[in-house]
Amino acid sequence: MRLSGLQKEVLALYRQCLRECRKKPQNTRAHFEKFVRDEFSRNIAVEKRDFAAIEFLLRKGHRQLDVYSSPGIKDIR
Amino acid sequence: MAALRSSTRVLSSSTRAAFRPSAVFSRSMASVSETTEQQPKIKSFQIYRWNPDTPTEKPKLQTYSIDLNKTGPMILDALIKIKNEQDPSLTFRRSCREGICGSCAMNINGQNTLACLCRIPAESSSDVKIYPLPHTYVVKDLVPDLTHFYKQYKSIQPYLQRDTPAEDGKEYRQSKADRKKLDGLYECILCACCSTSCPSYWWNSEEYLGPAILLQSYRWLIDSRDERTEARKSKLENSMSLYRCHTILNCTRACPKGLNPGKAIAEIKKQMSLGS
Amino acid sequence: MASIVRPSLLRQTALAARCAKPAFRNNAIKASAFHTSSQRSAFLPPGPQRIEGTVNDPAPVPPPSASHGSYHWTFERLLAAGLVPLTIAPFAAGSLNPTTDAILCSAVLLHSHIGFQSVIIDYIPKTRYSGLRKIFWWGLNLATVTVGVGLYEFETNDIGVTEAIKKIWKA
Repeated sequence: MRLSGLQKEVLALYRQCLRECRKKPQNTRAHFEKFVRDEFSRNIAVEKRDFAAIEFLLRKGHRQLDVYSSPGIKDIR
Repeated sequence: MAALRSSTRVLSSSTRAAFRPSAVFSRSMASVSETTEQQPKIKSFQIYRWNPDTPTEKPKLQTYSIDLNKTGPMILDALIKIKNEQDPSLTFRRSCREGICGSCAMNINGQNTLACLCRIPAESSSDVKIYPLPHTYVVKDLVPDLTHFYKQYKSIQPYLQRDTPAEDGKEYRQSKADRKKLDGLYECILCACCSTSCPSYWWNSEEYLGPAILLQSYRWLIDSRDERTEARKSKLENSMSLYRCHTILNCTRACPKGLNPGKAIAEIKKQMSLGS
Repeated sequence: MASIVRPSLLRQTALAARCAKPAFRNNAIKASAFHTSSQRSAFLPPGPQRIEGTVNDPAPVPPPSASHGSYHWTFERLLAAGLVPLTIAPFAAGSLNPTTDAILCSAVLLHSHIGFQSVIIDYIPKTRYSGLRKIFWWGLNLATVTVGVGLYEFETNDIGVTEAIKKIWKA
C-alpha cells in the first residue's frame, strides 16, 4: 500500500514516540508506551482526508512529545 | 466574578444618584445599569468556535444575542458577559481590559484589533462577527497560537546589548532627542494585530519577520544606548527577514495602539540602504 | 490532551464553569456550520507549515548577504526611479536613438524580472513548495531570456520599441 505524506508523518511520529519511551526508566516504560498507544488509538477513526484535523493532531502530538521527552518526566499515569 | 459585578453595580448606581455625570464615565467590567425603563437593545454576536477536543468537527460560527443596555461598551465586555451568562465554554484570552496587555487581539468585523479597545457598534443593526487572528493556528475558539511570533521576537534579541560599561557606573544615559526617537516604538504591546493583517506575513510567516517584530527591531536599531547596531542590521540583510515588506500598510491600519510599523520598516530600509 | 491547552486557559474555563448560571439560555444560541457543502472551497488549503525548533528557541535567522538584502533593494528602487526619465526621454527629445532604446529595453526587462521574482518568492514559499518554486524560478528565467532575445530581434531587425509605441499612439 502506498502511503501519503501525511500518513508517513503520522507513522514517523508514532515511531519517534515509542523510541522516546525507551529512554525512560525500565519500570515505568510500560506506562509511557501505553499512553502513546492510547493517544494514537483514540484518534484512529479520523477520516484520512480530514487534513486539517490530522495536521492539528500531528502538531499537538509533536508538542506533547517535546514535553514528555524531557528527562525530568519519569512516570506517567 | 459575579460578586464583583454586583458590587460595581451598587457602586455605580449610588454615585449616579449623587453626581449625575460620573455615570457617563463609569465603565465597569460587565455591566452598566441603565435598565428597567429602557427597552432592551439586542445585539447578535457571531463568534468563531472550534474545539480541539473534537478535531474532526469543522469550525463553526455560533450566534449569541445579548442586551446592550446590560453590557459595557466594549466588545470584550460583551464576550465576558457571554462567557459568564450564556456559554462558559467560549474561550478567549484577556487580561488587562484596557489595551495594555495585548491578550485580547482578535478579528472583529474583519479588522484585527483588541477587543477591549473596540466599541460595540451600537448604531448598525448587523451582527458583530468575531474571528481569531487570521492565518494563525487556532488553539481553541478565539485563542491563536503565537508560538512562532514569539520565537521570531526572540530571534531579534530584544534587549540592550553593550560592551562598554556606563560612564558613571550606574546607568546608561540618553539625551532627550535620543529618547524622543523611541516614541511611537516603545508603546508596542506585541498583540500581533499588525503582523497577522499583513499579506506578506500570511504567505511567508516562517521567514519574514512581520511588522510587529520589525518595529521592535527598529526600536533597538535606533536606541542610542545599544552598541550592536551592525550585528542587528546584518541579521536583516537577506531577502526574507525584512524585504518581504511591500509597503502594503495594513499594519498601520490595524494597529490598535495607533503606531506606525510601516514607517518603522521604511526607516530600517532607508538605514540599510544609505548605511547610516 | 490537556498539555497543549495553556494552563491559564484551563483555569479560565474552570472558573467560568463554577460561576456559570444554572439557567443556561439555550434558545439564544444558534450555531451554523462553516462548510455546509462538501465541495471544495475557492481557496486552496494552506501548504504544510513547519515550525523549527522548540518553543524556547529563537526563530532561525538566514545567513546575511547584502546582495540579496540592501543592495538588491537599493538597485531595485534606483531602477524603478530611473525608468521614469528613461520612458519620457526619447519622446521628449523626439529623436530616435538606438542607445536609449537599448537602455530602456534592458531596464524594463530587469525591472519586470525582479518584480516577478518578488511575486514568486511571495506566493510560492520555498519552505512549503520547494519543487514548485524551482519550476517557477527557472520558468521565469526562461521567459526573461525569451523576451530579451525577442526585444533584441525587434530592435535590430524591426523598428524598435520607441518607434512602435509612437506608431501605435498615432494609429
